[in-house]
Order: sequence, then structure tokens, then C-alpha cells
Amino acid sequence: MTWRNPQIGKARPPGSRPFQSIGRRRWWPHPGWEGRRLFPRWRYPLTRRNVLWTEGEYNPKNLAREIRVIDKRPLVWAVGLVLLAVAPFATEDGTILSAASVFAIYAAINLVWMLVIGTAGIMSLATMAVVGAAAYGTAYLSITYEWPWWSLLPAGAVIGLLFGIVIAIPAIRLEGFYYALLTLGLAELCRVYVIQSRLFGSATGGLYGADTHIPDDWSDTGQLRFAYYCAFALMLAALGLYRAVNGQRLGRLLRAAPEKNEAFAEAIGIDYRRARIQVFLISSAALGLIGGFYAAHFKGASPSLFSMDQLLLMLAMIVIGGLGRAEGAVVGTLVVVVIDKVLVDWGPVRLILIGAIMLASVLFTRAGLFGIKTQFRAWREKKKSERRAKRQEKGGEVVPEEATEIADKQEIYRRRFDKQIRDYLKTLVTDEVVEEHRAKPLGQHSEALDRLLNYFRRGPMADKYAVYAERPFESYRIVALSGQRGVPPRLVNDRTYPSLEEAYHAVFLLRVNDLMES
Amino acid sequence: MADLPFVALSAITLAAIYGLLAIGISIIWSSLGMINMAHGFTFALSGYGAWLAAQYLSDAGPMVLAGGIVAGALSGVLICAVSFLPLHDKPNFVVRSMIATLAISLIGSQCLLWAFGPRVKALPKVFGEGTVEFGEVVFTADKVGAIATSAVVLLLTLFWMTRSRRGLEIRAMMQNPEGAALVGIGVRKTALWVMAVTGGLAGLAAVLLSQTFFVSPGSGLQPLVKGLIVALCGGLGSIRGALIAALLIGITEAATATYLGGQYVLMTQFGLIIAVLLARPRGIGGLLDETRE
Repeated sequence: MTWRNPQIGKARPPGSRPFQSIGRRRWWPHPGWEGRRLFPRWRYPLTRRNVLWTEGEYNPKNLAREIRVIDKRPLVWAVGLVLLAVAPFATEDGTILSAASVFAIYAAINLVWMLVIGTAGIMSLATMAVVGAAAYGTAYLSITYEWPWWSLLPAGAVIGLLFGIVIAIPAIRLEGFYYALLTLGLAELCRVYVIQSRLFGSATGGLYGADTHIPDDWSDTGQLRFAYYCAFALMLAALGLYRAVNGQRLGRLLRAAPEKNEAFAEAIGIDYRRARIQVFLISSAALGLIGGFYAAHFKGASPSLFSMDQLLLMLAMIVIGGLGRAEGAVVGTLVVVVIDKVLVDWGPVRLILIGAIMLASVLFTRAGLFGIKTQFRAWREKKKSERRAKRQEKGGEVVPEEATEIADKQEIYRRRFDKQIRDYLKTLVTDEVVEEHRAKPLGQHSEALDRLLNYFRRGPMADKYAVYAERPFESYRIVALSGQRGVPPRLVNDRTYPSLEEAYHAVFLLRVNDLMES
Repeated sequence: MADLPFVALSAITLAAIYGLLAIGISIIWSSLGMINMAHGFTFALSGYGAWLAAQYLSDAGPMVLAGGIVAGALSGVLICAVSFLPLHDKPNFVVRSMIATLAISLIGSQCLLWAFGPRVKALPKVFGEGTVEFGEVVFTADKVGAIATSAVVLLLTLFWMTRSRRGLEIRAMMQNPEGAALVGIGVRKTALWVMAVTGGLAGLAAVLLSQTFFVSPGSGLQPLVKGLIVALCGGLGSIRGALIAALLIGITEAATATYLGGQYVLMTQFGLIIAVLLARPRGIGGLLDETRE
């Protein structure tokens, strides 16, 4: 603990005495952790990025040190990934374990697809076509030329890259929906081709017998677990790629140049065509690599990769989670794969269920599951402001347009309070109260009359009524004070009152009249 | 070159059927601003509607055609009610409505599978088994019937769209949706009409195509893709462009199937459409987006 002058470090003119705040000690105790850095912040090595975005603060009530995590997503990610990493030891069930591998592979595909559809905002439906083409190509290479499994990944990446070049050319020229429809047709073209081509196993319904990374002398459960961990590693790699593209320069360029905003992006110097081609090539190569992995994982490829239902399922996955978010891709995939692969005995109902979830998420949410929070907050704010507007009737209280003009916000609250008081006092004004005041203007009163008189006495000086003695004990008149020094009061009316009591009562009646009119 | 008339006839038949689908897709896009991916579902559902009509009412040709058209129109109204009406004033409408229609087609095809089972159904021959001879060339009745029916229905639809009040409203919405709304054309009501009419066209196409193919739960996909290709190639929003593109695509398909083999059909079509789109990014008769907005 050190003793430090709190004013040290503040700029002041040279030679002047440090300004002391009244009532504070000149020397203030400073614990060693004092300052804005209450807690050490960890950084990723060799970068300036923080592991967690935190803010240290003193709790104003008990002055305890508190750490507040502003962005909790890394924590959730960490917990989720750890759960996914230990999950296969929770079960021995073959269906669930193979579904888990499928989940990891599809999550990887969706993460890469999200780069195109979310970050770049291009509705490309050719994803499964790229994956399928790479899977078929590598399966063919492996079966015909006996390529080992590890060579399938780079081979798939090369095939995907070539495919990506083909589909990137129309992408720079076509409008969003023309492109979506074109790529949809492309997937259908691939499906029809592999179904009919003898080269790609039209007779056997797919290509089977590719080399695999899964050792076949292990136990069944061991094989499934090994396969899952390989797929999980693939998913982690896809997450890394997502983060590297989406969070870095390329992603920012792309997000600044979405559909219909190209002209703006171009005007601020973004070469969006180049960026789009780059993201296409990167994502296609990655999808091709995943395709190669797919061929090694399933020991082959089948035409169902290209089917419309498969494409719809993939779309459902990213739509349910929310477009443009990595967590959306992963969680959406989890939901859909659980329904599709684990609840197999439900039959066609499960696809209907998936479709219904997809429809509901599109009809009711703006950005899927992970957009619900923002959407709910916006809705709540809207409701709040509607209620506020409804509360604010006229009558002394500040209307919202006026409130922005008033610098002293206390005044707004004072007027609101005043209005509430007046609303209450109006209920107290009765004939009995008026009669009581007429009978006895001074002295002890009932509670209602007391409250009324107290309110009247508290009023501002300007326009306050007063009794003016024209001739004492003979004639009194009522005046209104100006509220300004040097400006005389003005006469309210030309009535005169023979006694002070009657004048008091007349003032009371005027005030009551003003109150009831406000 | 002996089968040239045959190729020509097949081409025109296919063009007629694809034209019905593509015009529907095109009109929906330009008037509602929505890509209707559930058009294939409409197609499949109307096939089943026609089958039900043939099964339970009567297997006379007009009855089967009417069954298909009515089922298609109902399906169009359903799609409109689910995907257009709740979404059309929400942010990000275009993408969301497209995903909604995709979800409808997923749910719909599974429901059909559930209700009718995976076995394909055959429709009765609407136009009979007869043949028509022109000189030495023999045309089968279903092809001639398909061409005639679709031509008549298309002409009727176009006539209705140019002459009737409702058609005028639809065309106003195609040209400028906001302007149409400003002069007092109800967007929701017109949308229902558009979807009913285009659904009816798709239903007709379903019955006509089912003369050669069968009705099955997944039968909508191929026509949807073809219809999309034609609509794209012709330019979304242009009826004339769609007709020209339908003819082009029909000729390509018939010629490829005859001279090269069935498996190359989609490839040559894709070659064609990519060539067209690279030359004219918005199709043969497509409006520029700026004009639409």
C-alpha cells in the first residue's frame, strides 16, 4: 500500500497550487491494485488481444473489488467445447457416437459456409456441391489409385479450390438471388451427374472403399470415439478459420460491403470484388478439405450429399442458430443433428419437426436463436417507451419533446412530482373544506384543508396571491406578486373585501380555482 | 435428321410446361419480391390433388385438370399465408421469406410422403391415347394436348392480366410495389391473388408433366430447378423473357436428350444459362433492380 496524492498526474498550470476538493483528505490511501487495472489482464502470446474483455470496479456499496466480464462468450465457448470434448465418454451407444461425428463434420461445414453466407452476405447454396465434389473426387482417387487417407485432405482442398474458382466467377457478376438459384441448380446438376455416371458408381449408389484414418483393429466404440475426436479437431480448425477470416481484415471488408451496399463500400475504397473472390477461394478450399475428410471418415461418398433434403437440413442448421454467428452455426447443427440422427425412429416426423423449427425461427426471430436476446431487449424497450408515452398526459408534466430542451433534468422530475401532488389534492377539494375555510381562515384545520393550504404556501413567488390593505380594517384587495425584485404587484380584480378574513378566503378560492383548472 | 420434328415437338412441349412454372416464379418475384422455393411443393401437391380427383370424383380429363389447378391454387394461398403475409413488412424480408418457403417445401414434401407413402402414382391420360398425324409425322395426343392446353391457359391468364381490374393491380405491383401501395392497391389481397394464380399455373404444369412422369412426394424438385433456371435465364420479372427462355431451354433439353443422352441434359442447360447470365446478368428480359426499386 502506498500513499499517493490523488491529484498527481492531472494537468494543471505550472506553479499553481494543486486544487483540493473540499472535505477530502489531502493524502488518500491507495492500495497496490488501485487504478483502472484492478485485475491483471491476460493476453494471447505475441498479440495485443485480451483473453477476456473484463472491467474491474469497486462495488460502490461495500468498496469490494469486483471483476465484471463484459463479453462472456469466450467463457461459454470454453465450457461448451470442453463438454463436447468429454461427451463421448458419457455413452457407449453407437448411434449417438456416430451422430456426434456427423455433428462435428457438419458443424465444420456450416462454419465455413457461414463465412460466405453470413460474413460476405452471399446467398450461396453450392456448399454441399463443393463438399460432395471433393468427397467424390478424393474417394475416386483413393479407390482407383490407392491414395492414402492423409493425402485425401490436400487433394480435397485442391479440388475444392478448383470448384471455388468455377463458382466464384458468376458470383462477382450476379445479383444475390440469381446467384442463389444458380448454385441451387448447380447442386442438382452434381446430383444428377453422379447418379448417372458409371465412373462415380451409378450402379452401387455411391463410391465406397476409400482409405480411412480410423484404425480397423480397434474396438467398435474405440473406433467411433477416435472418429469423433478427428471430426472434433476438424471442427476446431474450422472455428479457427472462421475466427481468422471473420474477425480479421478480410471479414471487416466483407461486412462493410454487403449486398446492395457495394457502391458505398467502393466509395470508401474497399475492393469488394477482390474480397469476395478471396473469401470464396478460402472457403471453397476449406470445404474441399472437409470433403476429403468426409471421404476418409465414411470410407466413400454417396449421392445423398448433393440432395435437396441435405441442403435444406444444412440451411436449417445455420438458420436456426442465426446467420452470421459461429455459435449459431454450431448450436443449430447440434439441434438439427440430434433431431435427425438420434431420434431416427420418429420417421418422417423428425424432418417435419426440423422444418417447423426452421419456419418458426424465420417467422418469429430476426437472427435465429442467438438473436433472441437483442430482439427481446429491443421489444422490451419499445414497450417501455410506449408505456412512458401513455403515462405522460398533459397538465404541468413535461412532454417528451419538451424534455430534450430542458437542461436541468431535476426540473422534469419536479414537475412530474408536482403533477402527482396536484392530482391528489384535487380529490381533497370538497364543499365541506371550502366551508370550513370560510368559517375559519386561520387556526387549526382538518387534514384535507391543511394539505391544501400547505401546498398553496409552498408555491413559487411569481404570481403568488397576496392581500393588500388599502385601508386597514376597512378595505382589502387581492394582488399578485410579480416575483421579480423592483417590479410591484399587480391587482388581480377590482373587488374589495371589508375584512381580512374575507380577503383570506377569497385568496383561498382563487387558489382552489387555479388548482382545479390546471 | 429424321427425328427433327420429334425433337421440335418435345422441345415445344417441355417449353410449354416449364413456361407455366417459370412465369409463376417470375411473377411472384416481381410482384411480391419473394423467391418462391416452395413452387416445387405446389407442383407435387397439385399432382396429388389431380390424383385424388381422378380417384374419388371422376377420371375425365377436365376433372383431373381442374383437380390439379385447384390444389395448386390452394397451395399457393397457403404459401402466401405462411411465408408472405406475416413477413412482408419485417426487416430482412427477402432472405427470410426465401428460407420460409424452403422450410415449407421441406415440411410439405415430408407430409406428402407421410400421407401418401413413397410409392409413385400414375395419373389417367387426360388427352386419351390417340395420335395426330401431320403428313408422315405422328404426334401423340398428350404432347399436342399439353401444348394446346398450356397455350390456351397462358393466353387466358395473360388476357386476364391485361384486361381485368385484378390483373391491372398485379401488373402495377410488378412494376412498382410501393407505387401500387400508394395508389391504394392492397398488397396482401393482391399477393393472395398472385399466389393463387401462379399456384394454379403450377398445378396445370403438374398435371401436364405427369402425363409422362409419375406423381411422387419428391417430384417437385426437378421441375422447380427447371422452372428456376428458365425464370433466371429469362430474367426475373419478365414474362416475355421467361417465354423465350422456356423455348430455348426446351430446345436444349430435347436436342441434348436426343443427340447426346439424358445425363447431359442438365449440363448443357447449365452451360446455356451461365452463358446467358454472363452476357446479361439479369437474364434475357430482366429489369434492372434500380428500375424496380
